Amino acid sequence: MSEIRWGMLVDLRRCIGCHTCTIACKCEFAVPLGGNKTWVKTIEKGQFPNVSRSFLPSFCNNCENPICVRNCPTQATFKRADGIVMQDPHRCIGCKYCMASCPYDVRYVDPLKKVVQKCTWCHHRLDAGVEPACVGSCPSSALIFGDVNDPESKISKMLSANAIQVLKTDKDTHPHVFYVAADEVVMRATGGANRKEKPVWWKWLLGGLLFNKKEE
Amino acid sequence: MEPDVNIIYNVFHAPPLEFPIAIYFYLTGLSAGSFLLSTLAYGFGLKKFKPIGLLGVRMAIVLLILAPINLIVDLEQPMRFWHLFPYLNMKSPITYGTFLLSLYPLNAIIYSYFMGKGNMKMTKIFGFIGIPLAISVHGYTGFILALSKARALWNTALMPVLFLISAMVSGIAMMMIAIAIKQKYFAEDKHVHDDLIKDMGQILSVTIFFDLFLILCDLLVLQTADTEAHHSAMLILTGDFSLLFLWIEVVLGSLIPLIFLNIPAFKKKIGFAVTAAVLVMIGILAMRYVMVIGGQSIPLS
Repeated sequence: MSEIRWGMLVDLRRCIGCHTCTIACKCEFAVPLGGNKTWVKTIEKGQFPNVSRSFLPSFCNNCENPICVRNCPTQATFKRADGIVMQDPHRCIGCKYCMASCPYDVRYVDPLKKVVQKCTWCHHRLDAGVEPACVGSCPSSALIFGDVNDPESKISKMLSANAIQVLKTDKDTHPHVFYVAADEVVMRATGGANRKEKPVWWKWLLGGLLFNKKEE
Repeated sequence: MEPDVNIIYNVFHAPPLEFPIAIYFYLTGLSAGSFLLSTLAYGFGLKKFKPIGLLGVRMAIVLLILAPINLIVDLEQPMRFWHLFPYLNMKSPITYGTFLLSLYPLNAIIYSYFMGKGNMKMTKIFGFIGIPLAISVHGYTGFILALSKARALWNTALMPVLFLISAMVSGIAMMMIAIAIKQKYFAEDKHVHDDLIKDMGQILSVTIFFDLFLILCDLLVLQTADTEAHHSAMLILTGDFSLLFLWIEVVLGSLIPLIFLNIPAFKKKIGFAVTAAVLVMIGILAMRYVMVIGGQSIPLS
């Protein structure tokens, strides 16, 4: 296997939850408010005094079998030979069907450009021979980026030597963001306290008198 | 025991498909349903349905011109809608729609032209061409939801069938209302179409039965499938969308119309049949809303 296939490995034993990758990404692409190409999920498990806190840096998984590429009607999103799932801002019509298809919620509509955007592992930096912005800025070297087809690369060695998990294996997308030491509960936790619930119109209509119990 | 999990920080992106998409599904459903009903008379030669032939296909055309407007308005880049033709991706269900939404209204216009001219032979030919088109123009909308595998509520092989049957249900109901308005305000004899409306009511109740059966199948499988599927089943049974689903879609939109259409005491009166049709139309609109908006209300990240 001589062709390059990029992959990202997140060593959660090293992640300190500092959000530097988020900031580096925001700076690299000037990502406006309302969108995130990368972010760090923060999850607490257990009850006092038996608790733990985990961080889960989230990126586009640049899947081997990307459903967004299959479903994009204009071929605006496509997979490069090195595995990166790209998004052509000039081709995209903003139908948002890729966002509806993506099981990881990593795509967003850029409020200024009015097209769908996503993490492309800094393809412009990779093409110039530089690692992605998040990887370069990670202070604890929790992010390891490289060619998974090259047996001598650090990521290949890490992948063989550690217990690896990926997100939502049942979706048959074959993600290429790998997590070391990820907790099962953390990997499948969705939602969160800061999720803005859309007001349900009929609850608002009934004044919340009849339906005020919170559904989990 | 499940450990307590508390997500302190997470990022969510706005739900991609909004209300215009639900309206689009609703309008194409109405269009496909009324077209199929119109071919009963002119394609299959059922004489008693002749009065709805021309009306049905005209409504089908108008609705199918209105429906894609919702799609284009919903695009982030409406002026780039033409990208769908030169840059098409044959694997995408939206591409099926690009062609169906272009061919189906064209065929319907030709069909109604020959029907207006009284050319029965050509009407029949274009009617029969239109039947698979009408079925696929609504069936494909089911594929749009079914093939976006992120959401458990959508990702089921039943979805295209469910959409087709609900299209028939809402299309027949709309034609019943249209015929009732026609005879009340535009006909000399105020009871000229009474029997026709009752007959359509009978077809309507059969399709409602089938629709309810499909909903039951869908729910039973969702309940026992994986975690996400179970969550989405509970969302529409006991969660935020239970009022819309259980009460408006199932009770108001299906069960009460079934009573109106099948209990002998109600059956005799046209008013009940028309009321049932109105309730059915409200119920199917609720169904589209629950499917599109409800499907996206479970967070993925």
